[in-house]
Amino acid sequence: MKKLLALVLVLCMVFALGMSAGVYADDVSITLWTYPIGGWGNSEIVDQLIAAFEAENPGIKVSVEYLAYADGDDKVNTAIEGKAAPDLIMEGPERLVANWGAKGYMVDLADLWDDTDKAEILPVVQAACFNKEGASYEYPLCMTAHCMAINLNRFQAVGADKLVDLDAHTWTTDQFIEAVGLLAAENPNVAAVFCGGQGGDQGTRALINNLYSGTFTDADHTKYTADSEENIKALELLAGLEGVNFDPAIVGGDEINLFRQGILDMAFCWNIGAQLNTDNNDAGLTNDGDQIVCMAFPSDDGVPELCGGIWGFGIFDNGNAAKIEAAKTFIKFMADSPATAEAVKASTYFAVRDSADGFDLTKIYDGNDIMSEYTKLMPFLGDYYQVVPGWAEARTAWWNMLQQVGSGADVTTAVAEFCTTANAAAAK
Amino acid sequence: MRKSSGLTQNLRRQETIAGYLFLLPSLVFFLTFVVYPMFMCIYTSFFDSNMGKDAVDTFIGLGNYKELFQDKVFLGALRNTVLIVVVAVPTVCAFSLWVASAITDMKPWLTSAFRVIFYLPVVTGSVAVTVVWKWMYNNYYGIFNYLLKGMGVIDKNINWLGDARYALWCIIIILFTTSVGQPIVLYVSALGNVDTSLVEAAEVDGATQMQVFWKIKWAQIMPTTLYILVITTINSFQCFALIQLLTSGGPNHSTDTVMYYIYYTAFKLYRYGYGNAMGVVLMIIIALLSAVQFKLGQAQD
Repeated sequence: MKKLLALVLVLCMVFALGMSAGVYADDVSITLWTYPIGGWGNSEIVDQLIAAFEAENPGIKVSVEYLAYADGDDKVNTAIEGKAAPDLIMEGPERLVANWGAKGYMVDLADLWDDTDKAEILPVVQAACFNKEGASYEYPLCMTAHCMAINLNRFQAVGADKLVDLDAHTWTTDQFIEAVGLLAAENPNVAAVFCGGQGGDQGTRALINNLYSGTFTDADHTKYTADSEENIKALELLAGLEGVNFDPAIVGGDEINLFRQGILDMAFCWNIGAQLNTDNNDAGLTNDGDQIVCMAFPSDDGVPELCGGIWGFGIFDNGNAAKIEAAKTFIKFMADSPATAEAVKASTYFAVRDSADGFDLTKIYDGNDIMSEYTKLMPFLGDYYQVVPGWAEARTAWWNMLQQVGSGADVTTAVAEFCTTANAAAAK
Repeated sequence: MRKSSGLTQNLRRQETIAGYLFLLPSLVFFLTFVVYPMFMCIYTSFFDSNMGKDAVDTFIGLGNYKELFQDKVFLGALRNTVLIVVVAVPTVCAFSLWVASAITDMKPWLTSAFRVIFYLPVVTGSVAVTVVWKWMYNNYYGIFNYLLKGMGVIDKNINWLGDARYALWCIIIILFTTSVGQPIVLYVSALGNVDTSLVEAAEVDGATQMQVFWKIKWAQIMPTTLYILVITTINSFQCFALIQLLTSGGPNHSTDTVMYYIYYTAFKLYRYGYGNAMGVVLMIIIALLSAVQFKLGQAQD
């Protein structure tokens, strides 16, 4: 009798298991790897977004892994080589289009771009998401203009606040030089040209390119032009400017910390995410309570060109059509649906389009003074050149070049060496 | 009689099979994660192998090896690595032996306490250790600059990790502190196993403490010394995490080591074949040095 009962129980369990397997037979599980793009690096925030997606798409399960910029690329590269790449990845065109896309690992997302998308999404963003052959390896969600920041209290203390246009957030190269001179009389560490690695390097590139209107690449994004007279002049200026130190021991994140701690008077690695940060004090304040003002990079003509940051989703071609389709559904939900507003707000950046699926995205930050003030910098968004071939190698060559300049090497030689290395990588 | 002999043979065969079966998991692990990657590393080093879905590996023979010895960065990395080994290995061994000799005759609880103290950096995560050292070396608020300025030794902050004159030495100091723990524990154990009857006999014959150490103890702890030398040499040659976390090889490649340059070439430049060629060269150097150390150790025995 006991044996019979046990048999019945086992049969019931097997049947139940089979039923449940049948119910979820059509389920698709996909993995998303995301870099810390504002709140997209925070599991509490992302879990809510994923829950909303899964509620609307019950047949798709999404698991998330969080990457850090310090070793995220290594993890992804290792996963690619080990045939274990994630289905979805969230980052910018410099990785998705210019690196993994160019190497043939990404799915062409051109079919996701309908005419409405092309009308709604900013042209500069669209251009960055497509390669020269017309394939799209990224569907964009959010963007910002990278800028720099100043400690307003320090500027006021030495009378340098008169040198900056606090309303337009702009200043000229001459005003920058004068301000550094005034600040250096009080603090030997006015600013740091950080060059310990690639972290935050958009700041050093933008600083050098803006000072005398140099460019980093040609307009077609086919070769590196950092060895121009304008850039050499800018580097020579910085290398000889008292108070500005080339520091190979820090990267962008370290520089931000030093600025928040009041050790530096300026930060060259800044954006709206940093301005909104409340880890140690209210947003827009240093740890000691000094006021932080976002500024465009100083330029000789007073018209800055800021380096853009664009973030969105790409799909790795893992050869599974069902997963690719599920990943596309995820992308459309996050970046082109009524849910897009929350997805953009989670990033703490700006939407790349005015509306998504009829939902107005221009007012998502209404009532937020810091975001409203920051929008004054967005018109200065310059060319998104980070999609030039050989980008990954050029980035490492860049900070090595800055280290050489900082240690007293001849600027012309160092920059020429950089361009030789970077252009050789671009030509591969 | 014959039956009994057959049984013994059977038993032996069974024991042999059982022994090999016990070895099998380790053997599979060793073949999969050591021998196979080693073979692949040597094989790929003869190819121009890059990252890319459609990238085709091209056989270039010794091309990568020829390039290696014309690559100034690699040669600099090799020089730095050799410097680390030459400085770290003798100092680690000598310091460990000195500490072990000093603490081995203390009260047991005190010996254990010292062993724990010296072993702590070994069991602490390398990232945590590195973060603390990075803080101490910090140019702006590091404790070293604070103390040296306070004592009047320096009048201006030194960018310890950002100055090519100091950066590699800073790395060697950290490597030293994280490397001495295990040798100290091993030496304490080895000194504890020295045959006391020989020591007592030597003392009765009027040997001095130094003579007892060099003539009796040193000979008996030679296998431990050999092991420590080989392990410390290999660890020093493979110095990577400290470089990656602290300097990324900078400033101006002044802290590049061969291991870091392998990583940089493979993961930043995606040149797998070239990186593997470096790995093979490093493997040959380590193997040769270890062989020399073993030979010298055996000669001393």
